[in-house]
Amino acid sequence: MLDATKVYGWLLKLYPAGFREEYETPMKRHFRDDYREAQGRWGKALLWLRAFADLAASAPAQLLHELKIDLKHGVRVYRSRRLSAVLAVAALGLAIGASTGVFSVLNALLLRDLPFSEPAQLTELWLAPFTPLMGRAAFAAWSRQSPYLQGTTAFSSSDMNLMGEREAVRVKVTETAANFFQLLGVKTAVGRPFATNEDITGQNAFAVVSYGLWQEFFAGDPRIIGATLRLNGMPLTVVGVASAGFDYPAKTTVWIPTVFDIEKIPKRGAFLFQTIGRLKPGVSMPGAQEMFQAEVRRAKPLSLTSASTDERNRPRFISLRDQLAGPVRPASWVLAGLTLLVLLTACANVAQLLLSRTNERRQELEVRAALGASRARLLQQLTTEATILTAAGALLGLLVAQWTSKLTSSIAPPQLATQDYTILDWRVLAFAGALAMAMALAFGVLPAWLLGRLQPSGQMLRSQPGSRDLRTKHVRATLVALQSALTLTLLTSSLAMGRTFLELLRADLGFHTAGVVTLNVSLQGTKYRGPSEWQYYSEALGRLRSVPGVQAAGAISHLPLANNLYMGGSFKLDSLQTVPATVMNAVTPGYFHAMETRFLAGRDFAESSAREPAPPVVVNEAFAKSAGLGRAIVGRAVTVPWSNTPYRIVGLVATTSLSGPANQGGPQIYWPIQEEPPPALTLVARVSGSPEDYLARCRDAVRALDKEVPVYDVKTLDQRLADALAQPRFYTTATLFLAALAVLLAAVGIYGTAAYSIAQRRSEMGIRMALGATYERLRSMMVRESLLPILVGSALGVAGSLAAGRYLGHLIEGAAQTESWTFVAAAGLFLVVGLLAAWSATSRVLSIDPADAIRAE
Amino acid sequence: MPKPKQTDIDRLLPLSLPIFHMLLSLTEGERHGYALKRAILQRTEGKLNLGSGALYGSINKMLEEGLIEESEERPDSHLDDERRRYYRITSLGQRVVEAETLRLRNLVRFAESQLALPEIA
Repeated sequence: MLDATKVYGWLLKLYPAGFREEYETPMKRHFRDDYREAQGRWGKALLWLRAFADLAASAPAQLLHELKIDLKHGVRVYRSRRLSAVLAVAALGLAIGASTGVFSVLNALLLRDLPFSEPAQLTELWLAPFTPLMGRAAFAAWSRQSPYLQGTTAFSSSDMNLMGEREAVRVKVTETAANFFQLLGVKTAVGRPFATNEDITGQNAFAVVSYGLWQEFFAGDPRIIGATLRLNGMPLTVVGVASAGFDYPAKTTVWIPTVFDIEKIPKRGAFLFQTIGRLKPGVSMPGAQEMFQAEVRRAKPLSLTSASTDERNRPRFISLRDQLAGPVRPASWVLAGLTLLVLLTACANVAQLLLSRTNERRQELEVRAALGASRARLLQQLTTEATILTAAGALLGLLVAQWTSKLTSSIAPPQLATQDYTILDWRVLAFAGALAMAMALAFGVLPAWLLGRLQPSGQMLRSQPGSRDLRTKHVRATLVALQSALTLTLLTSSLAMGRTFLELLRADLGFHTAGVVTLNVSLQGTKYRGPSEWQYYSEALGRLRSVPGVQAAGAISHLPLANNLYMGGSFKLDSLQTVPATVMNAVTPGYFHAMETRFLAGRDFAESSAREPAPPVVVNEAFAKSAGLGRAIVGRAVTVPWSNTPYRIVGLVATTSLSGPANQGGPQIYWPIQEEPPPALTLVARVSGSPEDYLARCRDAVRALDKEVPVYDVKTLDQRLADALAQPRFYTTATLFLAALAVLLAAVGIYGTAAYSIAQRRSEMGIRMALGATYERLRSMMVRESLLPILVGSALGVAGSLAAGRYLGHLIEGAAQTESWTFVAAAGLFLVVGLLAAWSATSRVLSIDPADAIRAE
Repeated sequence: MPKPKQTDIDRLLPLSLPIFHMLLSLTEGERHGYALKRAILQRTEGKLNLGSGALYGSINKMLEEGLIEESEERPDSHLDDERRRYYRITSLGQRVVEAETLRLRNLVRFAESQLALPEIA
């Protein structure tokens, strides 16, 4: 039988250590006596009930009481050691803040609820053999017979012109199947989603608008239901307003049920269809993935499935959550890993600070132990003290996290409006709290463990170097080595990132971004058709050129750095040679001049639009190289895959990068725009002076031509480059910041350890000096001793960097190959910092007076 | 020992009921914890049955405030031969329990006059 008194004894553990120490024995005895006297089962039950009630009332009161005493004591202790306390709180605050900030991003990306009902069931079917192109009936039939999906929907997003009251604007439109909202499980704020048959061709002139658009353009007027919108000139009836915050996919402002009806909205260009499915209940994700792949193999036995090595060009069946987190997911994890390293170095620091403090306080603690304080009581005291530090650190950390997450959201735009990065989320706050608590416990327990059993003994007032000192010394050296290793890993990573980023900045884009203004115009849904389109464009160019200060101007259908979908194909040179995967672009004469793209051979298009028997094209260097030709390519004939008309190559230009410095740019071919004017294009103007001053002037000049043509994305080319580089810039800055933080913490740690070690060995130094050792020799001895753990740690750090380097490629392309000079530079830099810290700490040796030091003994 | 100041005493008033009873019973002589509990139980005719946590919580508080102090440990011949810790009232404790009694007396007098209760014979 379980002994009742023993059970009661366990319950007493709920009291704080001090109280327990004093009263545990008599309390147990009372209970034992009362239990013995209790009559029968009811009496015993009543006794237990009373005991529980007593415990529930008095244990919290005693805990609070002792906590108050410990807190008071702790604050007193820190007040007398202000510097180390401030350093520890700062280190903890920065580390907890950085970790929490990064966690808030991970939380938003990977953990938080998506604005869909049962999002875990939703999957993305990438490059599936069943697309909206099969037609509505076939798509629905396939969807119905699917053994693993209970439903599917399809959509395609593009930009369109929305005619407003005074002028036209450009909006993001998603063409969907009628069941889009039902499948995602999303409700409308006003009105209704699309009805089942509203995606049938001829019956699909409807629209659902975003909450934001409703507020901005209709001032939240509920009469929007039934109103008419004109998208690319097509009238559509508004049936609903999406709920606030819903803008899936990709910041959509208008949804229209026309995904099966490509002709409904006049548009030209490249389209990307996306298909989303909802798993049948009981079907697992891996099981569904297998069935999907089998289906793909049946439908397209030889095509894309195995041919492509590029992950993006292979059919894929993944959860919608993973798809949304997509490319930033690995980067976020790497960033989280780097932040964890900083957190660990900060921990090493705080551990050292607390350790030296505990050692200094050994006398105090030993006296208290001698006066009867138990180990548990002292442990409680030390843990409370550590909690003061980590709680202060956590508060500071939340401020830092607020800033970090703001920074992050400004640089990595969320894919869903509801996906804003906030620290005011219970998961994030719980994370920060748990982190602080775990650290407090660790830092409370560690010093107590190192102190060993505090036994009151005759020698307690003498600080004799003994086994305990040796133990703390080893722990301190280990902490320094560990910190050095982590810091060096971070430092190497940040240097590798910095180098790669600098390379990106220096990369030759094939054009010069400085001093260029860019503006987009779109003629979709306007009065301009065919030849009049070219007329508009050439007039717009004329107006742009007449703006004072504009030196050169041109236009292109797909501007580099603009996040375009490009169209491409393979071309035949002289009807013989094939040049594969060539991106097609249409430009006006003067475009290359305005962008300062070099002509390597040949000439630009002529201004005259006279039709020639063999229309002229310009190709780039990569195209020529791909054909195995140099400048000799000028004058050759080229044919497109879909017609036999020969085009004549009149010029050869430098290769331009399309998506940014990380991308080298492949074969490209340029048409004169007047051949077949595109529905939208980008005007570029090279100006003298600061391009920012020209943005409004250029926009107004073009807009004045026709208010019904939206002029949008008016930006300098430098701004577009900065946007393209935003992500690598953020990751590089973050890594450099983390590394600098780690180096700072390491310097503080090394300094503290060296200074402490000298204070401990004062008398030894005194004796050495009395025996003839010079200051210089003693100092260099101490520096050598401090450097040993740093060197060991650095060796580990180099190994760590090699391991970490592999993952850096997720943050910034090209950073994965860490060059050997990076290691040398990082290790050298770190050793210099370590040496400086140790050297300045050992200046204390100079203050030792041998006579005093020996006398103190 | 310096004489406790009046402000120190006033600061401690009013006393909680268990502490008042404990101090009262300690004016009769030294007691250990269990004996205090028993005495209060008897005095209040079983109405105030202190749990161990409440009992020692109050004792701890009185010790910290200097109302009582520990005397030596010794066995209680009435109960068993186990050694127990005895407590005795300090001069501050004595003054405090007296002040509390006066406070209560004044309170009762005021209440009586307010309610016009007949005098107890």
